[in-house]
Amino acid sequence: MLAAITSATLLGVEGHRVVVEVHVSSALPSFTIVGLPDEVCREARDRVRAAVLSSGFSWPSKKVTVNLAPSSQRKVGAGLDLAIAVGILVADDLIGADAVAEFGFVGELGLDGSLRPVAGIAPMVAALGAVRAVVPVASRHEAEVISEFGVVVGRTLRDVVEALKGQAPWPTPPADDYVEEIVEVPDLADVRGQPLARQALEVAAAGGHHVLFVGPPGSGKTMLAQRMPGLLPPLTPQVSLVATMVHSAAGVRLPSSALITRAPFRAPHHTSSIVALVGGGTASLRPGEISLAHGGVLFLDELGEFSPAVLDGLRQPLEEGVVRVARARASATLPAQFLLVAATNPCPCGGGAPGSCECDDGARSRYLRRLSGPLLDRFDLRVPVHRPEVDELLVGEGGESSLVVAERVARARGVAHERNGCLNAAIPATLLDALAPLEAAAQQLLRTELERDRLTGRGYHRVRRVARTLADLDALGDEVVRERHVVMALQFRVRLSPLLRGRAA
Amino acid sequence: MSELPEEAFAAALAGLDRMTVNRLNVLLNQVTPRDAFAIAVGEARPIGLASQLFAIDGLATAWRQSAAVRSPERVWDECCRHGISVLVRGMPGYPEPLLHDPSPAAVLFVLGDLGRITARRAGIIGTRNATGSGRDTATTLGRDLAAAGVHVVSGLARGVDGCAHRGSLSVADGAAPLAVVASGLDVVYPREHAHLWRQVAEHGAVVSEAPPGTLPEAYRFPLRNRILAALSEVLVVIESRARGGSLITVNEARDRGILVMAVPGALRNRAAEGTNALVRDGCPVVIDVDDVLVGLGLDSRRAGGVAYDPRPRPRGSDVEFVDLLCEPRTLDQLVLLTGHSLVDCAMVMARLESNGWVHQVNGWFERVGDAT
Repeated sequence: MLAAITSATLLGVEGHRVVVEVHVSSALPSFTIVGLPDEVCREARDRVRAAVLSSGFSWPSKKVTVNLAPSSQRKVGAGLDLAIAVGILVADDLIGADAVAEFGFVGELGLDGSLRPVAGIAPMVAALGAVRAVVPVASRHEAEVISEFGVVVGRTLRDVVEALKGQAPWPTPPADDYVEEIVEVPDLADVRGQPLARQALEVAAAGGHHVLFVGPPGSGKTMLAQRMPGLLPPLTPQVSLVATMVHSAAGVRLPSSALITRAPFRAPHHTSSIVALVGGGTASLRPGEISLAHGGVLFLDELGEFSPAVLDGLRQPLEEGVVRVARARASATLPAQFLLVAATNPCPCGGGAPGSCECDDGARSRYLRRLSGPLLDRFDLRVPVHRPEVDELLVGEGGESSLVVAERVARARGVAHERNGCLNAAIPATLLDALAPLEAAAQQLLRTELERDRLTGRGYHRVRRVARTLADLDALGDEVVRERHVVMALQFRVRLSPLLRGRAA
Repeated sequence: MSELPEEAFAAALAGLDRMTVNRLNVLLNQVTPRDAFAIAVGEARPIGLASQLFAIDGLATAWRQSAAVRSPERVWDECCRHGISVLVRGMPGYPEPLLHDPSPAAVLFVLGDLGRITARRAGIIGTRNATGSGRDTATTLGRDLAAAGVHVVSGLARGVDGCAHRGSLSVADGAAPLAVVASGLDVVYPREHAHLWRQVAEHGAVVSEAPPGTLPEAYRFPLRNRILAALSEVLVVIESRARGGSLITVNEARDRGILVMAVPGALRNRAAEGTNALVRDGCPVVIDVDDVLVGLGLDSRRAGGVAYDPRPRPRGSDVEFVDLLCEPRTLDQLVLLTGHSLVDCAMVMARLESNGWVHQVNGWFERVGDAT
């Protein structure tokens, strides 16, 4: 007897529809799975057999062949367990073939027949097609976020079989499992002093400018970076859905509403591998940290300690907003549109006030060489951060809260979108004169900087974009970029070259 | 081979592997460089103390092998090509102050002309990571000493050394500068000082103990410092860290009975911790060039008036900012101290910077002196 069951597998952040074909014939009893299953998927043989038996059904003492079609595509993970089990029961005539035609099945089976959630429920449900999705109870919200054709749940294989046969209704999940989580987002009001760095955060959030904090240990670089997501507006429905898919595919815990609506904040450690950051570690090409940061903030602390290969791997995604991961058997395009926030010491010893650095020339230039080059070029804002004075810590005011700043940020983003159709960081150099005209004094200032060789051609365009954002943040709503905006933008370009430290030496 | 001068053999000896100051002195103290070279490569029998050298494991082989690679002909050829003259202790032209040094350099390489160093000599040393104020002081002192007819002796390193040389070169017909370096005279270190290096050689002299082609290895700097100290009559320290290399020079100078003087720095300035400690220990203080001239026992009446400062004077509230910059400040500190907004502070700094009053490094603002 033959059965065909709809299920799905995962590649990158996309689900792919899989038809599980089960053939049961009179021959020597055996159980084989074909159609490019990966290791976990192949082990379904043992899980499914145990689950079927412990759910109180009999196992056909015949030759059982399972084909996962299309057979040229690799199937990964345990998400096909449920579909295989149902397929066998259909082929063995325990369930009618008609009963399963309108359903797609995704879920892992325990040996006791219980249904367990798997990574990537959301993209897989999306790929099922025009059928109702049968998923584990714990994955209900995740599936509902995406499904257009309805979702039903089961706690065990027995639940599912009984519901399919019409012997019992589909189980209703407890209604009270939905609690709004209160997520503690660090507030900008906690930051004492540091007016320059606060302004930099605001500019970065409003213009989508990548920012690099340069300062000695203990100057609050990490604290500042953690406050960035609080300044960003909530995700648009589109971005929110993509972010949810990415988190689901990576198996990262979702909020209880299952939909990611706030800007994510990812802070991988500097020992992270290139695969962990960029993605593609497993056969399913699991999304990396940069994809998990989609729509939000990727924070790289101790930028210089990351391996050069990892940092080089960031360049293409930074440019294109997506990362293309290709392996011999498969390739995937993963979303990776994030705001890069990085922090570094100015030199191995941490630096500080002029004259306090103790590094020798070799050590300093080796340290900076790891940072230098094309990656540093991506940062519109290179902000010097200093250890706050004792006075600042004790008597300094907390300053504005994230809420107040976020309001200004949202308004400036609106202004920019209306004018450019994109954030200021993405304005093409050719359109700068039209979108960010300079007043005469500002023009003169930039000319002097260029003549004195303190600004490169590329740096010039970056300063103009940042100045545009500063102008947008000004309450006046000026169309022209003023001198004060350019002066301020120039403060966000600390120099990181070992040889250009002093005026005379 | 016979047409090679004695100096060629001395130069080749100085460049042998595992050659040290003491070994070179032992070899050259007894016989002529030509004979000493023959002994070193095993062509002649060693006499006296030199014979004990050959008891050192592997030394004879090392010398023989490296002499084959860097023969006197080659070394001499390199010296001639780069215009480097070779001075041997005990032969004419060798600088007087080093003759009776406790640890003399048996062979000296010179770019430029030591004959220009005729008058009194003052050493100026200090850290490579100097603050703006340290650099200003070095430049001013170098300029004023050269104008007063005192040769400035320094090490051509980054920071204080370079500024002292620049200052002394800025005087039209001041006393010639003298530099003592650690590397071979054709190996410019640090590279960004190539121009300065040439200028010092052109107007004064650059001296090294190492033959051409020698790299600036770390151990050569303390050795260089002893020659620098020995060639100074008074040694002025401008900014040194608590355990900086300048303090090695200070010790070398004290061993030789040379007067050490220090420029005091701000208490919070880590680059001045070493000099401030010297001051606390009773070292004479240098505030301006007169103090150095007094230390040298020269007339201290200042020649010439105060230099004209062409910079536009700061006006209005800008004066307050210039006053606050008595020590390096960040923009954040200026906001806190003045109560002005961030943008206003940035505007003032931009104005002062373009007028030449302020200089910014890594987010720190420093006041610029009148030295430039």
